[in-house]
Amino acid sequence: MRGHWLSAAAASALLACGLAACGSGTPNSTAGGLQIWEGYTGAEAKAFTHLLAVWNKAHPGEKVSYLYVNNDNSLPKLLTAVKGGSQPDIAYVYGSWAPNVAQIPQVVNLTKVVQQPGVNWSDFWVGERDVATVNGKVIGIPALVDNLAVVYNKTLFAAAGLSPPSPGWTWSQFVADAKKLTIPAKKQFGTAYVTPGTEDTVWHWEALLWEAGGQILNASNTKAAFDSPAGLESLNSLRTMAVTDKSMYLDPTDSEYANVFNSGKIGMLVTGPWDLSGFPNVKYGVQIMPSFPGNSGGHQTISGPDNWVIFNNGSKRVAAAEKFLIWMTSTPQATYFSLHTGDLPIRQSVENSPGFLQKMDQALPGVDTFVTNLGNVKQARPQLPTYPKVSTILGQMIVSVLLGKTQPQAALASAAQQVNQALASGSSS
Amino acid sequence: MTVRAIQLRRAGQARRAVQPRRRRQPGRPAKPKAGEQLAGWAFVTPAVALIMLFGVVPVVWSAVMSFQRNNLFSPNTPFVGLSNYRQMLHDPVIGQAITHTIIYTALFVPGTMLVGLFLAVAMNRKLRFISVYRTAAYATMAISTISEALVFIWLFDPSYGIVNYLFNLVGIPQQQFLNSTSEALYVIVIMTIWGWTGFAVVVYLAALQGIPQVLTEAAAIDGAGRWATFRRITLPLLSPASLFLVVWLTINALQLFDEVYLSTQGGPLNSSTVLVYYLYEQAFGGANFNFGYASAIAYFLFVIIIVVTAIQFRVGRRLVHYRS
Amino acid sequence: MAAPITAATTAAPVTPAALPRRRRVRLPFSPWHLVLIPATIVLIFPFAWLLITSVETPAEALHFPPILAPHHLDFGNYPQALQAAPFGRFFINSAVVAVTTVVANVVMCSMAGYAFARFRFFGRGLLFALIMTTLMVPFQVTMIPQYLITKWLGINALAEVGLNHIGALIVPNAATAFGIFFLRQFFRTLPIEYEEAARVDGARRLTVFWRIVLPLAGPALSTLAAITFLDSWNSFLWPLIAVNQTNQMTLPLGLATFQSAHSTEWTLLMAGNVMSLIPIMIVFFAAQRYFVRSAAATGLTGI
Repeated sequence: MRGHWLSAAAASALLACGLAACGSGTPNSTAGGLQIWEGYTGAEAKAFTHLLAVWNKAHPGEKVSYLYVNNDNSLPKLLTAVKGGSQPDIAYVYGSWAPNVAQIPQVVNLTKVVQQPGVNWSDFWVGERDVATVNGKVIGIPALVDNLAVVYNKTLFAAAGLSPPSPGWTWSQFVADAKKLTIPAKKQFGTAYVTPGTEDTVWHWEALLWEAGGQILNASNTKAAFDSPAGLESLNSLRTMAVTDKSMYLDPTDSEYANVFNSGKIGMLVTGPWDLSGFPNVKYGVQIMPSFPGNSGGHQTISGPDNWVIFNNGSKRVAAAEKFLIWMTSTPQATYFSLHTGDLPIRQSVENSPGFLQKMDQALPGVDTFVTNLGNVKQARPQLPTYPKVSTILGQMIVSVLLGKTQPQAALASAAQQVNQALASGSSS
Repeated sequence: MTVRAIQLRRAGQARRAVQPRRRRQPGRPAKPKAGEQLAGWAFVTPAVALIMLFGVVPVVWSAVMSFQRNNLFSPNTPFVGLSNYRQMLHDPVIGQAITHTIIYTALFVPGTMLVGLFLAVAMNRKLRFISVYRTAAYATMAISTISEALVFIWLFDPSYGIVNYLFNLVGIPQQQFLNSTSEALYVIVIMTIWGWTGFAVVVYLAALQGIPQVLTEAAAIDGAGRWATFRRITLPLLSPASLFLVVWLTINALQLFDEVYLSTQGGPLNSSTVLVYYLYEQAFGGANFNFGYASAIAYFLFVIIIVVTAIQFRVGRRLVHYRS
Repeated sequence: MAAPITAATTAAPVTPAALPRRRRVRLPFSPWHLVLIPATIVLIFPFAWLLITSVETPAEALHFPPILAPHHLDFGNYPQALQAAPFGRFFINSAVVAVTTVVANVVMCSMAGYAFARFRFFGRGLLFALIMTTLMVPFQVTMIPQYLITKWLGINALAEVGLNHIGALIVPNAATAFGIFFLRQFFRTLPIEYEEAARVDGARRLTVFWRIVLPLAGPALSTLAAITFLDSWNSFLWPLIAVNQTNQMTLPLGLATFQSAHSTEWTLLMAGNVMSLIPIMIVFFAAQRYFVRSAAATGLTGI
């Protein structure tokens, strides 16, 4: 009896090895086929595969195949692949990694390529171009652009007797509205903030800092500049809501807040267009961010563009990859992608094409405000390899204030000191 | 009949079934013969060769990396001697990571073993639906970590979770759990005990199944109460399984990562940062991609794990009863 | 314990006067159920949530706190999940990798575990310690060297076992320190008399192993098989790093396609998770019945 199962096991092992050896697919990343690593799901995946099919049909000698790699996991995978010499031809890379990715020797320098006629580099938004360029070197082609605005629950506003936000509104109005929308008995909050301490925590605040007329670092990126009246004003607004009014739902998971909003328990969110499709159960409206009156910051917002990066696997493949990306990001394809996914248009010409805004809004209500808000993106975060360290320090500062553990003034001073140290000790270590 | 008499009779029966009756030679030869040497090496070579190549070599390689400045992007990886290790001395977060790792391990390992032992003892009997209960215990091992994290995030949500709801019913004030610097780590302890209970149950059940009922029956006949039987017969016979669990659970607890990554991301304010999570942050998490430093932290942890495991084996040698 | 039992054993069991008389509360079922039922509820509660989410509509899934009694059931999530990616292929890949890994582990680790437990050979202690060290360095740090080694092996040694090939998923895990450690502990609990007797009778060590020791190792081997199967089936990080072709992906990688940076298709992801759990539960159920049968059959004694 037992003899049987061991020999059966040995037989199945042989069989499995045999299967593994022959059936599992032929390697195809040899001459001709390009490989692109991206993390699209749902509507984005459908639109992307459609465009790939169109390209492959028209260019049978330069077929492109894709590999799904979740964006959050793509960095370890990409770096390991680079070390082992099996990097893809094109990869989707978060913009915040750009200054570090630029150091990879296999990354192709696209500065001359994007100046070619037909690419129309200045048609891309200034925020995108800034993030794709590191020390004057263009290392990527924009893949995605977004920005932050306010999504609010129309029903809750009406129930609280509040008039919906107007384009000229201010942060004191936001704070007051949030307070009125907070009903502890119903477990309802006026607003929310994500508190994992990561860049997501930080960039929400940086938008307020810019609106208050402040800067993150000084012009030469050598010292902290956020330790200023603007920093204090922006941090105080957040603190009032989190600690004093308790009108802020604090979400350390960075994902549940959207579901809570969709359950009708939050009045307003500062978030991006990607969340809109997650609110099927709520009558929502979208408005640009409020301002801090009395300075030049205006209704500025912040953007987090991502890039397609090309890796050098031989000159023929690089040329094909460039050709593919230029086609992929040109106006007709970008228009198709935006309309079918609700992602913001990566080119200004796409926004300006007739009927585009209406069609976008029909597909995804409220997204047109995000599109026009792209004009409010005036600057980008510092493009430094040390920015991730700065981000960690700022993240701790913000969370510490929101949890009521430190006062804004002291928190800013302490963070500024740490940031100066981090910047002084140079790029890596 | 005494326990010993029963054992001898059973042993006699079993031996007769296996071999014709022969006189047994006492003990084993004092010096291992060449045949034993050869057999030993022959038996271990396939597994050991694979583990050496895919396990030991990377471990040594990582040690080398801990002496380099390596940011994974540029191919430049100069040797910097002990500078990564010295950096650990100046790092304010490392002390917190170490403390949290130790507290977590000290709570998780005994907690999981106790819960697992209790459930295994409960399930080591013929009851109706016993297969259902056992499968439910194993099932906790099967669930993906992300589902586990999501459920616990919900259960412990300060505003909408069930735990605060129950606290409210009983009059305990609402807690902040994952939003609280003093409670986040303990929520993770509970989450992971839940996740590992199935494993402890599986191990203990297999061990319990191997304890011949005749022993416990004889003890009962001799007048021992249930608790005394458990303490004096069952527990010592379970000691090899307990040693295995202590070692394995400790090794895993000291390397806690997934649950922290999926729920608190080390927060709030590093209150649930443990060593492996911290080193991952240093390497990939956008905290400057400092792979050399991450390797140094990993090696520091490695030394801790070796020392702790060696102590456990040493203590085990005294306390554990093997049948031979 | 050594005192012979008196004639009292022929009668009903004697309760010495020192023990208090216990009042027996007679329940229609065993009192253990009162412990096991709440325990089971706590243990399987997340599965209930998984199942419920997998049959909800997206609108109801995007709620927090989660809705446990949905108004609209949508079983279409299952076929939709299957169509979203080539899950049939992923399933086969996962199955091939898991089964091969389990068989390889059971064979190689039982031999090695037995040798470490019973044989005395030069370097035994050092070798065992070296193997255990592979459990003590986190994978996040060793994955890059492991990748480079696997790739080198694929190019220079065995063309069959390169990357872009599911051999890369099997070979690095075909024997693990966990398996060796687990089985070594187990083999040390077996009474040595049988093996010694067989050796005295002239049996070769391999025969002793094959005919005497292995049959007694049923519970441990099936436990190891179940745990190895589970680890292999749910393994995510190494396949993520090693697999570069969509048709080589395993189930966990396939399930990850439902999650993007900013949004997750919860209903499809949960449906996929439920389908992925079914083979594991089958394996566990089968392994669990084998423990009981083989343990009862051995009548193992000897101290």
